[in-house]
Amino acid sequence: MKNLIYSIFIISLISSCDIIEEPYINNNGGGVDTSSNQYVKNILIEDFTGHLCQNCPDAARELEAIHDVYGAQIIGLAIHVGNTFARPYPLSQTKFTYDFRSKWGEELDNFFNITDAGLPKGMINRIGYPNDHRKDKGQWLSSVGDELSKDVIFGINISSTLLTDNAEIIINTDALKNTTGNYKLVVCLTENGIINWQKDGTLEDQNYIHNHVLRSVISSTWGDEVTLDSEINNGDSFEHSYSINLSDLENFNMDHSANVLFQGNGQAGDWDINNFGIVAYIYDNDNYEIIQVEQISISTK
Amino acid sequence: MKKNVIILGLLFSYLFTNGQDLGEIHGDFNLNLQSYLEDASINAVAADEVIRNNSYLNILFTRNNFTAGVRYESYLNALLDYDDDFKGNGIPYRFATYSTSGLEITAGNFYEQFGSGLIFRSYEEKGLGIDNAMDGIRLKYKIGNGINLKTFIAKSRTYFTYADGIFRGIDAEIDLNQAMNLTSKTKYILGGSFVSRYQQRSNPLFELPQNVGLYAGRLNLINGGWNYFGEYAYKINDPLNSIQQENVNYASGSAFTSSLTYSKKGFGITAEIHRADNMLLLSDRDRIGKAYILNYIPTLSKPHAYSLLALYPCATQAMGELGFQLDIFYKINKGTLLGGRYGTKLNFNVSRINGLNSGNSFLNDNQDHTPILISVIDEELYYSDINLEINKKLNKKVRYNLVVANQTYNKDFLEGKTPGEYGVINSTIGVLDISYKIKKGHSIRMELQTLMAKQLETASKKEEGDWVMGLAEYTISPNWFFAVQDMYNYGNEDVSKQLHYINLNVGFIKGANRFEIGYGKKREGIFCVGGVCKLVPSSNGLNFNITSSF
Repeated sequence: MKNLIYSIFIISLISSCDIIEEPYINNNGGGVDTSSNQYVKNILIEDFTGHLCQNCPDAARELEAIHDVYGAQIIGLAIHVGNTFARPYPLSQTKFTYDFRSKWGEELDNFFNITDAGLPKGMINRIGYPNDHRKDKGQWLSSVGDELSKDVIFGINISSTLLTDNAEIIINTDALKNTTGNYKLVVCLTENGIINWQKDGTLEDQNYIHNHVLRSVISSTWGDEVTLDSEINNGDSFEHSYSINLSDLENFNMDHSANVLFQGNGQAGDWDINNFGIVAYIYDNDNYEIIQVEQISISTK
Repeated sequence: MKKNVIILGLLFSYLFTNGQDLGEIHGDFNLNLQSYLEDASINAVAADEVIRNNSYLNILFTRNNFTAGVRYESYLNALLDYDDDFKGNGIPYRFATYSTSGLEITAGNFYEQFGSGLIFRSYEEKGLGIDNAMDGIRLKYKIGNGINLKTFIAKSRTYFTYADGIFRGIDAEIDLNQAMNLTSKTKYILGGSFVSRYQQRSNPLFELPQNVGLYAGRLNLINGGWNYFGEYAYKINDPLNSIQQENVNYASGSAFTSSLTYSKKGFGITAEIHRADNMLLLSDRDRIGKAYILNYIPTLSKPHAYSLLALYPCATQAMGELGFQLDIFYKINKGTLLGGRYGTKLNFNVSRINGLNSGNSFLNDNQDHTPILISVIDEELYYSDINLEINKKLNKKVRYNLVVANQTYNKDFLEGKTPGEYGVINSTIGVLDISYKIKKGHSIRMELQTLMAKQLETASKKEEGDWVMGLAEYTISPNWFFAVQDMYNYGNEDVSKQLHYINLNVGFIKGANRFEIGYGKKREGIFCVGGVCKLVPSSNGLNFNITSSF
């Protein structure tokens, strides 16, 4: 009898093997059909990175590749953090002298303990907090798949008006379900297309393009209340507005780099407003999960 | 946690309600407390908690052919050289096992290894902060004379949780001489194993295997002083769950190890070769880090214990390496000119490890690369070590161990740096270790070590250069020992880093309890056990250790 049980066990084991034949690629995938709904579930990938981190560009490329498949549902935020990989070289050097870090990035890193686990790491809508939120890039795709299947609770509309370097930003939030909970709205500024040094595998790339770099959080780091009401009903709408001066924000980062950050050198300026975007997201204050996220470029009305 | 308490409760109620044969309870305890002070000179950071601690308590109950055990682990918070996912308290290890009529059944946690570990090794190594214990069911069965089977179905531990993959494995080992009643002088032992990981994954662009299988076969021949061991392993396609084509590798993996040993009294020689290609098995295919590695390519270089010999250690590359080793042991007989009164032991060892021809195997719709099976010339050197150790007892009071070595260490590759940052470091090392027995119960041991290093190519970062190290250890047996050690990096190209790393330690041993307190500076470096390595951050502080058993 034991031998029989053993034989069954062995046969079931040997059959546990899936060899894949060419072609390996299939093209079944893609984003969701957005034609019937005004709002779809969007996903924020917070890519914790650093210009001295040689494996980080591979994670950034994974983010881009996921974006290529799922389109506008995937929103990236590159957050340069930590003393090891994101510190700038002294100004006496010729490369890696730019300081991509920010006060808000460091706050997020301290709270979510990202650099302690080594870069690159990402958070996908911050799911898994507090034990499983720091995702290796190989986990991003699966997590995105899980998130895409979730219901849409809020829709976010962003509008902005830019006059020289003053901007008015209005965030409209529509509740799409009845819900209770403590939801916070965070509004960030990002910059695309920054050409600067980056370690990339065995290369030191002078012309690396840094995209969706977190520049500033114009709400508080941990967000503003979506509403003070304890109950939210389907159809409720909330408006938040922010007035900012981009030069002030830029100067703040330069000052913060020079005076606060580890080995900072103040080289955090040269902002190109034409490449700026606004990212607004709502998260559940109970578990930090991001419920919805939206982005536009800053000058779009 | 609740479950663990119930198991403990059952265990003790069983123990105290079963009349005469109460069985036995044994255990051991280990505490490692360390304070971390800021020391800008060595880039050591202070811990917010000031002190951190790792502690373990093992309790093992045995009665006849039944054994059950638990391990309580406490990381408040984990020492800085541990992954910070080790956090908090818990009982992550608990098991019960019994055997009857040749069948052994284990439920819960267990450690296991098939063959030399090429396709599967679950183990614990506190020095590395690795514990990938399995949790599930394991059966071991002696089918007959000389035939042993092992099977399991389980998940692998990572920190305080379990990795995503489900593992199924089987290993069979046949001692042909026993099984077939052979009377041959040569002993034949054959082994075969199979492991499969199931991990559900969907990918919008690529077909992914949900079940990834690994096979291995091994042969051990023993005849008199001769011993041959060879194992070959194969892994089917196991691509990363990515949608970047250049990351998705459908190539199979393979590895082999082969060694031939001859030994007789006072003489032994081992020649060994191994190769690994795309042979990393992860307990979760999507994760990165040593906590998720579930197979083992045995190291091919000599494991060194002396500080400066281990300053630049060799990390085995499961994704691709080819290595050779020759190890000769010879004892010069006592009463001869070189052997003296007690004889002299010599150990000569040489090893060399290089990369595979144009990297590991790679296969997808755009690329198809298979490296040459054996290729040494012009391949990137990872590590080489040639060393001679002389161990001699001079008289009843004095014995010494002398080691000279020359090592070449590809720092850029082995530590994942950008090529040209540190380059390849060649170091010549000398170690003299002398023990002197002063009187009964009192002995002193001294180590003098020197390391002279040079970068073999120009590098952009300054090199650490030359080191000297001295150690004095005074033992009053059986209770006390005192040690003082200084490592001095006098040759650092960066003058501000020409520092002394001084460590003081005092230990007290009484019965089954051992206490040790120490203070010192540690250099940032790579620490390896058996070719598996971790980065140890620099630190400055006090440490306090207790080990105890009953």
